[in-house]
Amino acid sequence: MDRTGIFISAVLIFVVSLIAIAAYYYRRARKSNQNDWDNLLNRLTRVDRSSIAEVALDVIDESGRQRTDQGSAVLEPQQIWKLLGGMEGIEALKANCTVLIDLAFYLQQQYPEALVVTEQLRLSAREIEWQVGRLRGAAESGKLAGAFPMYGQRAAAAYYLMTQRLLDLYQQGDHLKLTALQKAL
Amino acid sequence: MHLTGLDLLFWAAGLGAHLMLLCVLLIRSRFKGFPIFTMFVASNIGRTVALYLVQFYGNKASYFYTYWSLAILDTVLQLSVVYEMYSLTFRPLGQWAHDLQGPFIWLVAASIGVAAGLTWLAAPHTRLWMQVVVIKGSFFSSTCMSELFVGMVALSVMAGLPWKTHVAGVSQGLGVYSIIDVLIEAGHSYFGVDRNTQVYTTLSHFRMSAYLCCVAYWIVTLSKDAKETRKLPESLRGQLILIQANLNLDLKRVRARRRL
Repeated sequence: MDRTGIFISAVLIFVVSLIAIAAYYYRRARKSNQNDWDNLLNRLTRVDRSSIAEVALDVIDESGRQRTDQGSAVLEPQQIWKLLGGMEGIEALKANCTVLIDLAFYLQQQYPEALVVTEQLRLSAREIEWQVGRLRGAAESGKLAGAFPMYGQRAAAAYYLMTQRLLDLYQQGDHLKLTALQKAL
Repeated sequence: MHLTGLDLLFWAAGLGAHLMLLCVLLIRSRFKGFPIFTMFVASNIGRTVALYLVQFYGNKASYFYTYWSLAILDTVLQLSVVYEMYSLTFRPLGQWAHDLQGPFIWLVAASIGVAAGLTWLAAPHTRLWMQVVVIKGSFFSSTCMSELFVGMVALSVMAGLPWKTHVAGVSQGLGVYSIIDVLIEAGHSYFGVDRNTQVYTTLSHFRMSAYLCCVAYWIVTLSKDAKETRKLPESLRGQLILIQANLNLDLKRVRARRRL
C-alpha cells in the first residue's frame, strides 16, 4: 500500500472511531438525561452501610473530623479488608460513585440553583474514583495488601461522608425520596 | 477568478444564513451567553462582504491574500468557540473543574498528536508549495476541531457535567460539521489541485452545503428557549448553604488524609 492508500485508510479509521466514540457517549448522555429517580436507585449496588460506617468511623467522627483519640485507627488491615468486602466491595463503592454522579446530575437538572452542592458531590465521587484507581494500580503491581488499608479506608471514609451529605440534601427536600435513598445506600 | 452561478448562490446563501443567525443571537439575547460565538458569526458576515468587494475591485493576488488571511482568522475564532463551549461546560462554579485538568492536557496533546500524524501522511498533488500548506493546514485544523468536540462529549459524560441546551446545540452543530470537514479535506488532499480544479470545487461545494445545514441548525436551536427548570424550594436553600460548607470541610479532610 502506498502513502496515499495508508492516508485514506487512516482517515477512514479515524472518522469511524470518532463517530463511534461520539455515539457511545451521546447515548450515555441521553440515558442520563432520561434517568428518573427510581432508575437511579435501582442502579445502586447494595453495600453493607454499617460495615462502611465502622471502617470510616475508625478514622473520622460523625461530623467528618479526623479522630486523634486513643481508640481511633485501631482496625487491623485484615479487618478492614473483610469489612469492606475486599476489592469486590471497593469496586461496588466505585460503581455507586458513578450512580451518585448521576444523582448529582439529576439534582442539577431539577434544581439548577443547587449547582454548588451538586458540583461538590460530583467532585467527592471523583475523588473516591481516584482512590479506587490507586488500589487497582496497587493490585496490578502486587502491592494491594500494603495499599488497601490506606486507600480502602480513605475511600470508605469519603464514601460515608458523601452519602451522609446526600441524605442531608434530601432530608429537607423530599421525604419519600429520602426514605428510598436511605434504603438504597 | 471566474465565479459560476452556483458559487454566487452559495455566497448569497452563506451571507443570508449568517445574517439570520446574527439576528437570532441579538434578538433572543444569546450574544450575552455566547460572546465569542457571536463574534465568529459576525466575522463570517464581514468576511463574505470583504471577499465579495475584493473579488470585484481587487486583483487575483489581493483576493488570494485577503482570502487566506481571513481563513486564518476564521480558524482562530473557531478554536475560540471551542474554548467558549468548554468553558461553559467545564467551569460550573466559575473555575475549571480541578478533576479534569489532567484529562484536558491529555486530550489537547492527543488531538494535536493524532492530527499532526494524519497531516504528515497526507501527500496532496499540487502545482505550488503554497497549495500544499493550504490543504494540509485545513486538514489539520478540521481534524483537531473534530477531536476536541468528540473529546468534549466524552469528558462531560465521564465527569457528570451536563450541557446546557444552547451549548449542546452550538457544540453539536460545529462538531458534526468538523467531522464532515475532515472527510472533505481528506478528499482535497487525495485528489489534489492540478490544472483541473473541478473535483476541488465540487468538494468545496459539499463543504459549504454541510456548513449551511449547520448554520440552519443553529438558527433553529438558538431561537428556541431552553427547557424550563424547577425553582429551588425555600426549605432547601438554607440547607444547601450549610451542606456546601460541610462538603468543603470534608474534602479538605480527605485531601489531608491523602497526604498522611
